[in-house]
Amino acid sequence: MSEVLHTYQLSIGYKGQALMPAIDVSLSEGDIVALAGPNGSGKTTLFKTLSASLKPVGGEVKLFGKDLRDYSPTERSSLFSLVLTEKPDDLFLKVFDIVAAGRYPHLGLLAKLKAEDEQIIYDSLETVGISHLVNRNFVSLSDGEQQKVMIAKALVQDTPLIFMDEPAAFLDYPSKIELVNIMHKLSREKKKTILFSSHDLDLLLRHADVMWVVAPQQPLCQGTPKELVDQGVIDDYFKPIVTKEEFFWMNLEQ
Amino acid sequence: MASDTDNTLRRKTPPIALVSIAILAVGIVLFVLNLRYGSVSIPWNEFWDTLLHGDTSTYRTIILDYRLPQAITALLAGIGLSVSGLLMQTLFRNPLADPSLLGISSGASLGVAFVVLLGTATGLSVSTLSLWSTFGVTIAAFLGAFAVLLLILALSSRLRSMVSLVLVGIMIAYIAGSVTDILKFFSQKEGLHSFVIWGLGSFSNVSKAQLPFFAIAVAVGTIGSFLLFKTLNLLLLGERYAENLGVNIRRSSMLIILASGFLTALITAFCGPIAFLGLAVPHIARFLFRSSDHKLLIPATAFLGMDLALFCNLIARLPSFEGNLPINSVTALIGAPIVLWVIFHRQKVSHIQW
Repeated sequence: MSEVLHTYQLSIGYKGQALMPAIDVSLSEGDIVALAGPNGSGKTTLFKTLSASLKPVGGEVKLFGKDLRDYSPTERSSLFSLVLTEKPDDLFLKVFDIVAAGRYPHLGLLAKLKAEDEQIIYDSLETVGISHLVNRNFVSLSDGEQQKVMIAKALVQDTPLIFMDEPAAFLDYPSKIELVNIMHKLSREKKKTILFSSHDLDLLLRHADVMWVVAPQQPLCQGTPKELVDQGVIDDYFKPIVTKEEFFWMNLEQ
Repeated sequence: MASDTDNTLRRKTPPIALVSIAILAVGIVLFVLNLRYGSVSIPWNEFWDTLLHGDTSTYRTIILDYRLPQAITALLAGIGLSVSGLLMQTLFRNPLADPSLLGISSGASLGVAFVVLLGTATGLSVSTLSLWSTFGVTIAAFLGAFAVLLLILALSSRLRSMVSLVLVGIMIAYIAGSVTDILKFFSQKEGLHSFVIWGLGSFSNVSKAQLPFFAIAVAVGTIGSFLLFKTLNLLLLGERYAENLGVNIRRSSMLIILASGFLTALITAFCGPIAFLGLAVPHIARFLFRSSDHKLLIPATAFLGMDLALFCNLIARLPSFEGNLPINSVTALIGAPIVLWVIFHRQKVSHIQW
């Protein structure tokens, strides 16, 4: 499988202060990778660094073989898309408008949607299962529906790589399962590479191909969810927050 | 689930073309009424004769030299201020943002205060409001407003957060305001009077000779704003989404501030600080069209701003008011209830939501 993203001795943090030892990780096409760690462990910092919102303290991030920061903002907009925890809050923003905004990098000066662009928008809404919401106001949707709108936006952006920051944070159990299914669909059918983060030992983590586990001042550990549980990494890194039950379920469901 | 309870949010969008035609028709009617009504009443038949045949009746001067420039100034100011307000509301993601947010109108006031004090100090009477002095006040307001605009632009390149930028704007407004007060303190009565008159706002300060310049400048600012619609739409999603979709946040914020600030500075210089148009009109546009798409909102806001400004100007010159009411009090009187309504409506919507 071809390589999408690779970090070399990447050091992340603020004001020259590294949060954790240097990171060497990579993402391949079609991977679903989970970035897990307790709150304050540097997940968001790593996310922002990988998505070019933040300069690395040291080392580099290579996206398709080229340094992330050597791309222009416009070029980056066609390489990776974001699904964030912050949501648009404008009262009259329609679902269609938000998803269409994801198409802007592909459009000309007047942002005129061609028939094929509209088709892509409707297809994406179909993929995440919210075609019926197309005319609704975004703020009137439930958290799960809003999450799907933002995923549809990322889809029409048509990037090989998708970053999802805490995608399951506000979702109820059925919505989480739906989200897992959507992620699998994107990875298997559309060959999308997905990196998502989670601050608790969510059911999502078990569906990742690879997990990156972080904790403050600890080196990043990677492996399949099962390996990490077996090696006791999960236990170590999540020690302060894992309850007995959660750990029991983690083990049981493997 | 919350999604089942919000029937009020699912109202159909009114047909865009129909609403647009209605807005334009209202604008044309208001424009004609602006020419027709005032302290001097003109019979309809003479009114049409003067307008269509341009005959040399006694009303010619009143209509063509006085009311026409005033009506055109009003509609241009309405367009510019409303579009400027929309840009501020979107940039700062704040429904109560308006063109004066960044202290640009305060800068204009400061400029005028300087001229007034200078007039007092040198013995020149600015208060006579002769053509020259009106123009002097305009120039002073222009310089003051642009000085603040440049300062804000310089600072915006150093500040990353929009909240800091708003705070800086408010602080600049305070500084300009207090210096204005100090200057006023040292001014003489006549100077103060002309300052107060300028502060009440007026659409009749733009002379026929200045009108083409004013019109072109407003058009440039408005078209410039329209060209930013893609960026504005993306900013609605939030800064990080916008950035990911190829928006250079700093450069875009500067362009938006430049477009909005240019319109505000220009109109404040010519008409004085006009309150509430820039705050209220974008809300009317959003509610009428049930949309946040700036490709639609910017033209809608422009034409609604034109309508509302013409309406306010008409009210200010109703025959019973014997001349002109201060335009600023009329815009506030009409604009404030609209803003109140928006606040309550938002509360209602958010109540349904959460």
